[in-house]
Amino acid sequence: MIHDLSTIRNIGISAHIDSGKTTLTERILFYTGRIHAIHEVKGKDEVGATMDSMELERERGITIQSAATHTLWNGHHVNIIDTPGHVDFTIEVERALRVLDGAILVLCGVAGVQSQSMTVDRQMRRYKVPRIAFINKLDRSGANPQRVTEHLCEKLSHNAVLMQLPIGLEAAFEGVIDLITMTAQYFEGDSGEHVVTKEIPAELRDEAEMARETMLDSVSMFSDELMEAILEERATEDQIHDAVRAGTLSMDLTPVYLGSAYKNKGVQQLLDATNRYLPSPLDIENTGVDLSNDEATLVLASDPNKPLVALAFKLEDGRYGQLTYIRIYQGSLSKGATIINRRTQKKHKVGRLGRMHADSMEDIREAAAGDIVALFGIECASGDTFTDESVQVSMTSMHVPDAVISVAIKPLDKKAVDNMGKALGRFVREDPTFRAKVDPESNETVISGMGELHLEVYVERMKREYGCEVETGAPQVAYRETISQRAEFNYTHKKQTGGSGQYGRIGGWVEPRADGEEEFDFDSRIKGGSIPTEYIPAVEKGFVDCLDKGRLIGFPVIGMKVVVDDGKSHSVDSSEMAFRAAARGAFREVYGRAKPIALEPVMKLEVEGPVEFQGAILKTIMQRRGTVIGTTEAPGTSRIESEVPLAEMFGYATDLRSMTQGTAEFTMEFARYLPAPSEVQKELKEKFSSKILDDDE
Amino acid sequence: MYRKFLNARSPLRLLEKGLQGGLGPGNLGVVIAGHGVGKTSFLVGVALDELLRSGRVLHVSMAHTVTHIRDHYDTVFEELAATTHLEDGARVHVEVDHGRSIRVYPRNSLTTAKLREAVKIETEAGGPPSLVVIEGLDFETTSREDFLDLKALAKDLAAEIWLSASSSDEKIEAPPPSIERMGDLVSVVLALEPGGETVLLRALKDHDNPDLSDLHVALDPRTLLLIRH
Repeated sequence: MIHDLSTIRNIGISAHIDSGKTTLTERILFYTGRIHAIHEVKGKDEVGATMDSMELERERGITIQSAATHTLWNGHHVNIIDTPGHVDFTIEVERALRVLDGAILVLCGVAGVQSQSMTVDRQMRRYKVPRIAFINKLDRSGANPQRVTEHLCEKLSHNAVLMQLPIGLEAAFEGVIDLITMTAQYFEGDSGEHVVTKEIPAELRDEAEMARETMLDSVSMFSDELMEAILEERATEDQIHDAVRAGTLSMDLTPVYLGSAYKNKGVQQLLDATNRYLPSPLDIENTGVDLSNDEATLVLASDPNKPLVALAFKLEDGRYGQLTYIRIYQGSLSKGATIINRRTQKKHKVGRLGRMHADSMEDIREAAAGDIVALFGIECASGDTFTDESVQVSMTSMHVPDAVISVAIKPLDKKAVDNMGKALGRFVREDPTFRAKVDPESNETVISGMGELHLEVYVERMKREYGCEVETGAPQVAYRETISQRAEFNYTHKKQTGGSGQYGRIGGWVEPRADGEEEFDFDSRIKGGSIPTEYIPAVEKGFVDCLDKGRLIGFPVIGMKVVVDDGKSHSVDSSEMAFRAAARGAFREVYGRAKPIALEPVMKLEVEGPVEFQGAILKTIMQRRGTVIGTTEAPGTSRIESEVPLAEMFGYATDLRSMTQGTAEFTMEFARYLPAPSEVQKELKEKFSSKILDDDE
Repeated sequence: MYRKFLNARSPLRLLEKGLQGGLGPGNLGVVIAGHGVGKTSFLVGVALDELLRSGRVLHVSMAHTVTHIRDHYDTVFEELAATTHLEDGARVHVEVDHGRSIRVYPRNSLTTAKLREAVKIETEAGGPPSLVVIEGLDFETTSREDFLDLKALAKDLAAEIWLSASSSDEKIEAPPPSIERMGDLVSVVLALEPGGETVLLRALKDHDNPDLSDLHVALDPRTLLLIRH
């Protein structure tokens, strides 16, 4: 067990796709002795980088799933969460950020800050994750660390400060100058494992002096002691480190490191900076909610002697069986202990506890607050909180957006039929934004998620990991229905078929919810027992029965309020069943008069590209019935925020690429439901009525 | 079509009592206020007045983010919709959003050439703006040529251009020298002053109107709309 919490670093490596973060992770694991050979991404040597554990990721050279790995550097325990970079997987990024204390923001030395870096950076800001930056790929032609640092300041509003200067650039990139120790550092040995310190080359001396001065100017803002020491020309290395750390922790400063992971340069210095400047669990305040005290907010103490509180943030089903990655926020956990899942209230015995290193595992006996470890064979979902029996605490739930797109899938052969359920079961547990269900009418399996690519990746994974090939239907947009005006009902359900009959009358009205909320609102204003109290829940249930499938276009009904203020019962013939049926009848009868309308999901779309393509980008939005909210111009680039109906977004990536010669990028997330235009309404209505006719035949 | 209900709350009713009943196409107007008194909300009220009459608005800012400005629009619109019991509010809101474009620039980076470029892009995308709002322009460093150019743009577009100016004082007796020197180019100058539970809107200049004594109204400090009576 790690006793000194100040030596733990839970960090993420976050970046734009192709910035080289998988290569960087690989090098970190190599220099810290976790792996003994370096493999390149994309399987040049048929092995693939260690952190890319899934075949699909290897093939595409991207990381989709976060994997946690533990490593040691100069007496510090570094847990690395490798976070995915693509926007369709932002739920994974967000889930990982929740458990991180700090992060390394990897930027490409040529391309600089790209649109995905902005998204990830925004998320980090939201979760208050302090970060240091690593400008990678300085060996590539066109690399310019100064310009990337300016980007960090201008585009991401960081107070970014270069802590190093490059010695040479592009093909001539040799090493780095440390602006604190004022030494030159080179990387020798086959894999750059020997860091050799030399004097700063004479021709770079002046430049280094100036850069040091700039660095000290920025850094001294975070320490009065350092400021005084600089004035008296007696600043020590420790004073500078303390000031950089203070600025980093308060997120007012981003120290910038340089290198080329691929060429084995600069990684060791980045690790030193991680130990020095990124927070330990002791530097971060984490909160949960107290389930025994009306969900009051509770500050959790990184104290191994307090009751256990741990969060399951990642599930994996691999060669060790069902693995659950947890972050312990308070208390400690040992092999053989009993823990409780606070969502299901189920008890589990901890049979085995491990520290994960990408594809291999190390058994441990116990772990404590601040650590990230893996549990084996415990059934739970991502986002569940585990505690011991003495406390009832839940970590605040993570925001899970609604699915906006669905597609029907059909297994192609017998083997696929058998494996599909297994695969879907696992994906649903692992990813809260991915859903699967069987449509009772068509008997088809329908999967839904956050975007086209999101679903494509799961279909691909079914094939590769489970040998389950499926045929996919056309993507379906998740429409909704709502009513647009108040309408009154007075409905009697009456049936007499021998024996005791069924009788229930209800009166009242339906209306759109005034507050714009989506949930169904039921308000009983029955007085004097005209409907006996015990039947009122049945009335509500009767209405709820009808909400799943509206009568306009066959999609769920949202934003409706029902008020029941009148009714009648019969002493013998009334029952729960009769009132439930009365409510269903009332809904059928009143719905058309309340002028139902079809709603379509509208996405928030952010496109970023060079200023000269602004007109072209606006055009792609206008062509898709989009509404432009605004444009933010920065030197050279502009970011256009808009809202566009999801139904118009299929194939957008290709269109945008061709309109902007591949220079623009976009991110997209669900924004809200809005009334669909009349031609779409008409089309959806026709489709629904022809389906009903077909069903009748 | 929504003019009737809007008339009831638009801060621009103040000018109806004045010489020309408003700013008028081709003219420049300036609103001056101390920090945090509500220049953005006021300009949003002016813009919504235009949008609800099916006009198009270009809102340019060097002071806030797109999200921040949009939040102002949403707040003021919702207040209007709620207090006037606007029917079909959601649909009207969508229409209003459609007619408006927000453009944000880094501080001190807006030039009239850039503004003309922006107007061109907006015109191609949706149509020429009938009202342009400019926030965060530094009057101290803006030259007379720039103002002449702005005035020419307003004339070319036959649009109204409203600008905001910051004042270090809460009490504003007369236009500050930086605006005074553009006197002949600016048609209307208004001042916003905090006054207890309301914000006072006063005209410091209304075209060639010599008598400004009547031109003052009280506004709701949250939305900068007229207080309801």
